[in-house]
Amino acid sequence: MIGSLKDKVAIIGTGVTKFGEIWDKDAEDLLVEAVHEACNEANIDPVKDVDGIWVATFYTFSGVGGTAFSEPLKIFGKPVTRVENYCASGMDAIRNAAIAVASGLYDIVIACGVEKILDQGARGLPGVGEMNPQPVLPRLSAPAMFALCAVRAFKVWGWTKEDLAKVAVKNHYNGYYHPKAHFRRKIDIETALKAPIIAYPLGLYDCCAVSDGAAAVVLTRPEIARKLVGDEYAVIKGLGLAVETATPWLDPNFDFLGFPSTRKAADMAYKMAGIEDPRKELDFGIVHDCFTITELLDYQDMRLCKPGEGADLIREEVTTIHGDFPINPDGGLKCFGHPIGATGCRMVVELTRQVLGRAEGLQVKDAEIGFAHNLGGPFSVASVIIVARK
Amino acid sequence: MFKYSSSGDVWMRGVVMVGILSYGAYIPIWRISRTELSRATGIPSMGGERAVAGWDEDSITMAVEAGLDCISDLDVRGVDALHFATTTPPYIEKQNATIIASALDLRRDVSVADFTSSLRCGITAIRAAVDAIKSGRCKRVLVTVADCRLPVPGSAQEQIYGDAGVAFLLGKERGIAEVKEFHVLNEPILGTWRRSEDRYVMQFDPRADNVVYVRVLSETIKALLEKAGLCLKDFSKIAFYANDPRQYVRAASAIGIDVKSQLQDFLFADVGVTGAAHALLLLAAALEDAKPGDRILCAGYGDGCEAFYVEVTDEIESIKEKRRGVKGHIRSKKLLPTYELYMDFKRLRDRRWPEPAKASVVTYWRDEIFELPFYGMKCKECGRITYPVARVCRICGAKDKYEIVKLARRGKIFTYTYDFLLGPGGYPGDGVYPGIKAVIDLEDGTRVLLEVTDVLMGELDVDMPVEVTFRLIHQKSDYRFYYWKARPVRG
Repeated sequence: MIGSLKDKVAIIGTGVTKFGEIWDKDAEDLLVEAVHEACNEANIDPVKDVDGIWVATFYTFSGVGGTAFSEPLKIFGKPVTRVENYCASGMDAIRNAAIAVASGLYDIVIACGVEKILDQGARGLPGVGEMNPQPVLPRLSAPAMFALCAVRAFKVWGWTKEDLAKVAVKNHYNGYYHPKAHFRRKIDIETALKAPIIAYPLGLYDCCAVSDGAAAVVLTRPEIARKLVGDEYAVIKGLGLAVETATPWLDPNFDFLGFPSTRKAADMAYKMAGIEDPRKELDFGIVHDCFTITELLDYQDMRLCKPGEGADLIREEVTTIHGDFPINPDGGLKCFGHPIGATGCRMVVELTRQVLGRAEGLQVKDAEIGFAHNLGGPFSVASVIIVARK
Repeated sequence: MFKYSSSGDVWMRGVVMVGILSYGAYIPIWRISRTELSRATGIPSMGGERAVAGWDEDSITMAVEAGLDCISDLDVRGVDALHFATTTPPYIEKQNATIIASALDLRRDVSVADFTSSLRCGITAIRAAVDAIKSGRCKRVLVTVADCRLPVPGSAQEQIYGDAGVAFLLGKERGIAEVKEFHVLNEPILGTWRRSEDRYVMQFDPRADNVVYVRVLSETIKALLEKAGLCLKDFSKIAFYANDPRQYVRAASAIGIDVKSQLQDFLFADVGVTGAAHALLLLAAALEDAKPGDRILCAGYGDGCEAFYVEVTDEIESIKEKRRGVKGHIRSKKLLPTYELYMDFKRLRDRRWPEPAKASVVTYWRDEIFELPFYGMKCKECGRITYPVARVCRICGAKDKYEIVKLARRGKIFTYTYDFLLGPGGYPGDGVYPGIKAVIDLEDGTRVLLEVTDVLMGELDVDMPVEVTFRLIHQKSDYRFYYWKARPVRG
């Protein structure tokens, strides 16, 4: 039986670095920047006021153990846990931190994530060929995993490369206005369609970039939040995390037309928040658009539309910044790239800033409540969080 | 000149009958035209095409494929021994036949042996099989022969050589063809050679070799005929190894074989000269066209000569059309468009080849049941078959309630991708050759993810029928990791 932490946890500080190919900084620089920005916003001293820390890194080269946080910040002697849960690591750090605050054990905590990937010199994500110790079972790159879904969606629902390109065009439009985005360039459909293939049928513009970055949030209980930041905070309405198989391609029942992990995590979060019709009750969403096909499937799994109708939402411009239900007003992973450990934290930073009316890029009009969705592994792990203005 | 005769000859004469029960062949799908080889090397074209093993194929994988063609509709657990013959064993220290035996799902207690070092080792493996059956030690012996010889790049041999495998199941019955007399003649002649440190096959002046070749072949066949009390005209077909098609025809004429009616086609137009496999590949081709009562003579050459003959029985009709065999494999082909692609297949030019990486040999050994004989698990609770073998059923969650089952070998593509970031074998993509991977529903309902081979970009489709094929996956940790891939069903 899962209880509820609705309205029990406040987000009082947010920090995020510029995302991109950051050759002149390392993981230490990025994490220090993001954490101090969040602490400044929360009006707290990271050394004196913070009771516990959750830090997300996916790769061991971005930091291992609790020292992934303590060493760069030089904050010693506190409880720190490193969180790794595939590409959903960042949001899972926030979930763990929120549970600690809601339990009353800690008053003020930091959840943060960082990844420094570019230094490894890999095309795509480094080391994925070696992650599973089984030596002969085939491995897929991240785009290849989602390409398997695109082939099915094309076949079953008649979706096209143009539908995918529209997602890229929309997110690049939004990202153009965001100062922290990796890519700040508007593109057109033809550019997306003509790009080289990365994993058929996904081309370059169907894929998010490999980027560096860090993000952090400060959480506390609402009564403490009021003392620190007045009314300038957001509250968590619901959250959920669901872990499925690491090998969906070996499940004869798996249809590649959506992700049970997302649906289950969304159901948990919606239930906790008391949301029955997310399309009507929420104002906008941030989905894990690691690939354009993923965003369309996310629409369905987050219950914004019925299965098969995901492409209609992009064709009918429902999810543009001026649409009925804006998705990824920041430009998404498409424009920020995907420093694994940082992404989920960055999403919650963006979500919080949107509901507080201080988005750095495009502001969703009258945004009061929205969701963020973080997906990891071969559709294995999904985390959903719903955040509203206080 | 010395003459040796086989010590087996005394008791070989007829007490126990040994026959060929089945045959199978394997010719890689890839061919390159000799016109293209000529364009690239400047050596005049000899016409036709030669077979080229894919970059993920070697003598082991081709032996498995030929073995499958030979026995997949028979009781593989009834095989008592596996012989593997090749001059190109992928392992010098480590038994190659054991890998083949596991991939073919033979019993654990079969006797296995590698026969190697001479181009006639295929015939030696057949003779050893016959001996084992005659001695009573084995009832059924599977002989697999494959060769994948690498000629000096740019040489005429590049047009002459071809890659292929062949297999025969021998048993204590007459079968489709009864195996009769053998004769052996040893002579350390020039021929071809390859030292352990050499990559390419070496050859001295072929003119000198030619003289010895004709004499040794002639003497061996003559001795065999004497033993059998037969003369040349008693044979419907005669097939033997030769270094090239011209030598083949010249030797036949010199010996007195009627080239038009008696000499088995040399398979030069479509395949090339396939090393240790060649004489037996010609025998398999002869069996495909044989009639009951036909006598076929087969001779292998290399450091002497080794010859035997068979008498075709009425059973020959029962196997026809049931094997892809030589003809089926010749029909099913794709042309390698360029010599550059041939060079990449044979790893002859510097490219950004996969960087060295490690993979666990221990894990490979521990997971053998689902890697080599390709078994899955059938849940005793829900009845579903899933892959690979694991403790808990992924469908119903039952723990430790399963039996291992051999998976179906054919299925359909559910979805697929061409992965430019992770190339074949899980190596980082080189930007040129994508990792081609497909989610496949096998005919027994099992779902698997396999790399797809024998295809280029753009050939796959949802619902395409595929079959599994045994291939070299990668060589991380400097070890050869074999496993199954999928390919479009060959015609």
